Amino acid sequence: MILFYMMIFAFVGAFLIYFAGKSFPRIKEILAVVISFLLFLFVALLYGKDFQINYHNFLGFHLFLRINMFSWLFALTITFLGFLSIIFSLSYMKDKKNNAFYYMNMLFVNIAMLGIVLAGDLISFFIFWEIMSWSTFLLISYKKGSALPASMKYIIMSIIGSLSMLIGILYLYDLTDTTIISQLSHIIRFINKGDVIFVVILFSIAFGIKNAVIPFHNWLPPAHSEAPSPFSAILSGILIKMGVYGFLLLFYVIIGLDIIFHLTGLTIVLNVLAAITIIFPTFLAILQNDAKRLLAWSTVAQAGYIFMGITYGTELSVAGGIFHFLNHAIFKALMFLAVGAIEYRTKGIRDLNSLGGFIKKMPFTFAAMLIGAMGLIGLPLTNGFVSKWLIYKTLILNGSPFLAFAALIGTWGTILYSYKLIHNIFLGQLPAKFENIQKAPFSMKMPMMILSTIIIFFGILPGIPLQFINKIIVSFGYHPLNVSLFGIVSDSGNLNIINILAATFVIGVLIVLFFRSGRKSVRVDQYDNYAAGSFIPKEKYSYTNSFYAPLDRFLNSFLKDYIDIFYCKSAALIRHFCNGIRKIYTGYVGSYVMYILLFLAVLIFVQLNWSVF
Amino acid sequence: MDRNQIGKWLRSPQKMSNKYSLHAVYFCTGCGIIEIPPSITTRWDAERFGIIPAPNPRQANLFLITGYVSLKTLKAIIRTYEQMLEPKYTVGFGSCPINGGMYWDSYNTIKKLDKYIPIDGWIAGCMPRPEAIFVAVTHLWTLIEKDMATGYIKYRKNYKQYRANQEKIYGSLDWPPLYK
Amino acid sequence: MNILLMILSAIISLVTGMFFLGLARKIMAMIHWRYGPPIYQPLIDVIRYFHQRAVSHGFIFDLGIIISLIGSLLVVFFLPLGNISSFSNSGGLLVILYILILSPLGLALSSGESANPNASIGISRKLILTLSYEFVLIIILLSLMSQYQTISLQEIVMLQARKVWSFASWKLILPGIAYLLILPAMLGFRPFEIAGASQEISAGPSVEFGGKYLALNTINHGLLHFITIALFVNLFLGGGDLFGIFDSISGTFWGSFVSLIIFLIKMILIFVISVFINAVFPRLRLEQATKYILYYPLSIAIVGLIIVVAIN
Repeated sequence: MILFYMMIFAFVGAFLIYFAGKSFPRIKEILAVVISFLLFLFVALLYGKDFQINYHNFLGFHLFLRINMFSWLFALTITFLGFLSIIFSLSYMKDKKNNAFYYMNMLFVNIAMLGIVLAGDLISFFIFWEIMSWSTFLLISYKKGSALPASMKYIIMSIIGSLSMLIGILYLYDLTDTTIISQLSHIIRFINKGDVIFVVILFSIAFGIKNAVIPFHNWLPPAHSEAPSPFSAILSGILIKMGVYGFLLLFYVIIGLDIIFHLTGLTIVLNVLAAITIIFPTFLAILQNDAKRLLAWSTVAQAGYIFMGITYGTELSVAGGIFHFLNHAIFKALMFLAVGAIEYRTKGIRDLNSLGGFIKKMPFTFAAMLIGAMGLIGLPLTNGFVSKWLIYKTLILNGSPFLAFAALIGTWGTILYSYKLIHNIFLGQLPAKFENIQKAPFSMKMPMMILSTIIIFFGILPGIPLQFINKIIVSFGYHPLNVSLFGIVSDSGNLNIINILAATFVIGVLIVLFFRSGRKSVRVDQYDNYAAGSFIPKEKYSYTNSFYAPLDRFLNSFLKDYIDIFYCKSAALIRHFCNGIRKIYTGYVGSYVMYILLFLAVLIFVQLNWSVF
Repeated sequence: MDRNQIGKWLRSPQKMSNKYSLHAVYFCTGCGIIEIPPSITTRWDAERFGIIPAPNPRQANLFLITGYVSLKTLKAIIRTYEQMLEPKYTVGFGSCPINGGMYWDSYNTIKKLDKYIPIDGWIAGCMPRPEAIFVAVTHLWTLIEKDMATGYIKYRKNYKQYRANQEKIYGSLDWPPLYK
Repeated sequence: MNILLMILSAIISLVTGMFFLGLARKIMAMIHWRYGPPIYQPLIDVIRYFHQRAVSHGFIFDLGIIISLIGSLLVVFFLPLGNISSFSNSGGLLVILYILILSPLGLALSSGESANPNASIGISRKLILTLSYEFVLIIILLSLMSQYQTISLQEIVMLQARKVWSFASWKLILPGIAYLLILPAMLGFRPFEIAGASQEISAGPSVEFGGKYLALNTINHGLLHFITIALFVNLFLGGGDLFGIFDSISGTFWGSFVSLIIFLIKMILIFVISVFINAVFPRLRLEQATKYILYYPLSIAIVGLIIVVAIN
């Protein structure tokens, strides 16, 4: 019952924050931090447990909560990131009004996601899914203004997804007479394949919308860029990964390995979708000029990598997909938090063209952003490298070079937009109006520091998270990977981080020594700079506007978010159509009488001619 | 490489490398620049001696001022000279930087360049032939070898005086003083 | 033993890289009908840079250039040089592809902090150009990896020595040609000398580099020449193999020595060809260069990949 009490405690705590926050302003922040930390602690203590409990019966449905390695890893990530982003919110939300509401919703989202990964049956899963969707909606629309259309887009997509999932659950219930996940996985093999494909499609719409797989991605960029930054971190880090969890649950737990990869054409379609989801958002991200929007598109692309990993279906790829989920949660949260710190200090400027040179003023944030970007690119010695390596390797060796091409070229696009982000915010000339920018406060630095440490730690010792992931993929029915502390051993090419680390260290020390043995350099400021003999003007003299101008010109001519345009066009069309229909309600009684008479006349005509009734 | 130079290389690699790797900023102020293309291309091939044009002052150590120096270009010359990295050598090319040359009575031409930046050597003539550049370079080598090409040290030592001279023309300069 | 090999390969790559820089200048001079500098001129330059008093724009300005050099040297250890390979068994070509990123990224960070617009323009051009040739390079590497069914570069070299060089096998000739076509772009030679255009944007990324920064940058430049060509020789020209003539002494010290010499000779041949191309072409604009790369080499490479996939 401990799971049940934990959820009850969390929900009560969330409400408590709201009501306590009304009367005692300071206590809500302390409560939020304490509750989220306790949740993290609870979940961490549940390591290695494997059980399920029947906490409630409702209309003949047995509702279950369960925990095993699979849900533990997700639950730990959720509570951990939730805790960090609530700490980050302390200064970010300080001057905002109505922040008791914010903290309550923040906890709601976390608890709902916790509920999703702990749910042992599909009804609880659906309920928690809905709580998550709605509290997310409230948080995205928190800033009002331009956030409202973004949240509207989100909630419409989300409702479509939930409805399709509800249909899927009911259909499955109709076929199998149960909604309990552990029972479903036994019964599912007796269902014929057509029904399974139908259920997979219904669920895939729901999970695909959350995971922002093309063609369901269009809610993500506006939602991520308009939400408050600490929540963007959660949104990008874990909330969209609920889609990943859903896919994993559906494919590997409910349906199972033996059936899902024998459904003809399904994996090919999903893989191609994943490849498209990698390439197009990557190049769209290069075109963005809003820091958070750029990161949002990058999230879509990275979600494509995860999706590619989990739908390709070899043990390396699934392990890589889950590992990339974990890594992406960490580094993308870090990057959103770093951008949030900039946004906080510049009073809301996210436009990449008007920033620059912040490395001199906010060096810590720069370091965090750099480490996050290195993880995002997947440079060796950061965590993103190992997960991407796993995915690439399996794609190449299992004969899918075109999918591997999509994944690899996505990485190069990642370099372009990550560098643009870093350059336009932190490098280049510091505009004179930002001369007095302060460093980020400690409550912002602390989460960034923890996340950066984890990126390096997992990058050097990928064996530790891969041990957990190994247990997960074994529970899915795969062979375990041959994991050592520093890498992966296999007969078709090993990975050994310790070699790279040792070599980097030795070379680094030698080069630094060599470098230091030269004459000591003189520190100059940004105005002592080569400008063909003239003095650098104090105003903007920096190349940030359309940083990749030739590429922008080239891409802008054909690369647009066509799917979003299509959705918006069809929404406009429907509105137009409905407006037309509304015209028949003239408000004049005579016309309504005429409609009734006309209808009767049609009925009589039909009856006379074909005698239907 | 001559065999008798190996000892010198081992004794003072800094001096020898300064000698044989002169990357030049050609400051195209006047007609003197017309002599530079033949000297760096096929006819005289300055690269034999390690002299190549550098793309910017940070990478150069030889400053060739080729022609008259107007008030406006002097500012750029000072800026460029200050941005070059030490050790750096300056050579005035043609008679105009020496004493104004044919612009001796012009109102907006600098007559004595070495009042504003230190000059390590002059190439007199109007115009000097490209061979003169090589003669100048060999002289510069001798100066470097004997530690006599010390314009940049002079500039650092007497910076106040140089700065005062510069400010006498412009009133105030845009950039802060190079040395305290 | 491994550490000795690492030191050896580092020295070989550094010396060869500097030699390449000197060779390029000498050949260019000879094509210009000049006498040209001595072949060790880049070394003199580096010594001179190293003794100059540089300016620094901040911490990342120092760190970036060091990262860049670390990245380049690290790649060398993953490349088999003849029979010498320090740790080519630690992730293979994928790791090489990733570590190759380090070098431009470090340079980009370093020159980004110098706050010079010329540097930013240079980096922007460099990254776009790299993106466009990376399309081709990735396809080439994928066709090789699919053909040989391994991601280890060492094994690709060994399989070539056992059968036939990739460049001579009809399945892989198209990727080889595509690699040759993008080779000048990878080396930063004309007609693709867009990023470091010295007359146009004052040497681009290295505009604020002077003194020891420029020294490290020059060494790095030489290393990048070395890496790019070594990768080509390993992938397509069989590494240190010469039609199996020296198979009888392979494994011995002399075998390694001979294979290293053969490897270096192959590299010099390829390099000289690239310098010839460099000498006769003017510089393209960025749009033209990207368009060229995305039309010809890319289509050749894609056809090559399709052939490889279709046959397997």
